[in-house]
Amino acid sequence: MRLRTVLYFMRQAFVSLSRNGWMSILSVATVAIALFIIGSFFLLVANANAIASQLESDVRIVAFVDVSVPREEVLEIREKISKDIDGVVDVQLVPKEEGLKKLGERFGENNNLITALGGKNPLPDYFIIRAEQPQEVKNIARAVDGIDQVEKVDYGGKVIERLFEILRWVRLLGWAAMVMLTGAAVFLISVTIRLTVYARHKEINIMKYIGATDWFISWPFFLEGMILGLIGAAIALGTLYFSYVSLIQNLTLTLNFIPFISDPVFLGRTLCWLLLLGVVVGALGSLISVRRYLKV
Amino acid sequence: MIQLFNVSKVYSNGVKALSDINLEIEKGEFLFIVGASGAGKSSFIKLLIRDEIPTKGQIMIGGRSILRLKRSEVPHLRRKIGVVFQDYRLLENRTVFENVSFALEVLQCPSWQIKPRALQVLQMVGLSSKCDAFPAQLSGGEQQRVAIARAIINTPRILVADEPTGNLDPDNSKEILKILYRINKLGTTVIVATHDQEMVDSIRKRVIALEKGRIVRDDLRGAYRCEA
Ligand SMILES: Nc1ncnc2c1ncn2[C@@H]1O[C@H](COP(=O)(O)OP(=O)(O)OP(=O)(O)O)[C@@H](O)[C@H]1O
Ligand SMILES: [Mg+2]
Repeated sequence: MRLRTVLYFMRQAFVSLSRNGWMSILSVATVAIALFIIGSFFLLVANANAIASQLESDVRIVAFVDVSVPREEVLEIREKISKDIDGVVDVQLVPKEEGLKKLGERFGENNNLITALGGKNPLPDYFIIRAEQPQEVKNIARAVDGIDQVEKVDYGGKVIERLFEILRWVRLLGWAAMVMLTGAAVFLISVTIRLTVYARHKEINIMKYIGATDWFISWPFFLEGMILGLIGAAIALGTLYFSYVSLIQNLTLTLNFIPFISDPVFLGRTLCWLLLLGVVVGALGSLISVRRYLKV
Repeated sequence: MIQLFNVSKVYSNGVKALSDINLEIEKGEFLFIVGASGAGKSSFIKLLIRDEIPTKGQIMIGGRSILRLKRSEVPHLRRKIGVVFQDYRLLENRTVFENVSFALEVLQCPSWQIKPRALQVLQMVGLSSKCDAFPAQLSGGEQQRVAIARAIINTPRILVADEPTGNLDPDNSKEILKILYRINKLGTTVIVATHDQEMVDSIRKRVIALEKGRIVRDDLRGAYRCEA
């Protein structure tokens, strides 16, 4: 494409952008809001996925022994678990005394927890069992749960199932939001572009009689749509990026065990996709209007 | 150069604008299409530039059927045919020079070719001094001359004009006819649809008379009215 032509297209596009004033602003705002919400959903799902896969790869199982079971029996159970159940790498016993000590540390040193609890330790002994493979966790947990004296078994996968349940809904909601919001954005851009088409219909008509190609006639409109989409996307990206980064910074302070995604490559790629989506939305919106007018 | 075979045009509302037109127009000819209002003159022009498609029949230009053109080929047909309308169709917010050079810009001509060519055609229609004027500052005749300059800037082989003098007084009409005649002398086939009797009678050229969509007369050195 010749530079002259490009400049001609650009000039046309910017003239129209400013002529459509409020409509341009409205469609930019719609694109921005749409992409911000879509991006938020995407980051939410991505983080949930990361948490899920971390939990999934967790090979630890925690098994609580009934409080009434005496220590000797507990040690026997430990032997049984490490010998009889396949795939177990090791079994670590956390005795109730240690559990209480840990609890005490949390409450502060001067606090006499035992006294407060009436001289008795209410905590159970528990095992931390490590599986060889993440895939074996579920079977091991089931086997351990089958032991009479074991009261409760917890492992990452159990949490995951609930998490996946929620995640499914979040994803569905995200898709619905994406379809509706991009639809709205495409519609508003197409309305804006139609204004431009009407404003320039005389010129378009003349161009057709002179023998301009549809391609030549349509370009300024595509460009206008894409610029609208691009500006909207840029606003959405900026807002999304800064709010996400500050949110993660705050959350990591309190929830430092959750692996929030802060990988710049991943974030950069996400933002690029959103930018592309903005441009596509813009091009699509103008395509609808231009096609209808040119009867392509 | 231009051939029409059994061409009929019925609009979607059922109006029969043209019926069974057979016609051959030679290269370099000067031709009037005359007839009362509603006779089908504009419809004829629209068929030539493929603004409309005939309901029946075949139209050949330069040995090629223009009905078989793909959508993407239509612009190339239009580049071979310059068009002038009764209402000039100039862009109000552009100067005379810009209106004329616009036609070459749209065709993506290199800019070093555009300026000299634009000046050349403006000189040809006698508007060299009005390059920087806007259409609203021109008389009707001058505006029509700008439209003619725009139509011929890319040296089309055919120039069609639909009532080019429809809004003009006799003096301006004469001027327009002179310009069209000059363009014809340079080798362009010129087709003028008109009901301007004075213009038709002032030069003895081929006249095709339409009546209710049919050709009722085809005189090689004709006048507006039948002279029999
Ligand atoms: N787009 C259209 N749809 C339906 N009917 C049309 C259309 N264009 C023209 N007609 C009809 O076709 C007939 C011929 O019209 P046309 O414009 O070709 O006549 P004309 O000879 O150019 O008349 P005028 O001298 O008034 O310009 C008329 O009856 C007109 O109403
Ligand atoms: Mg007419």
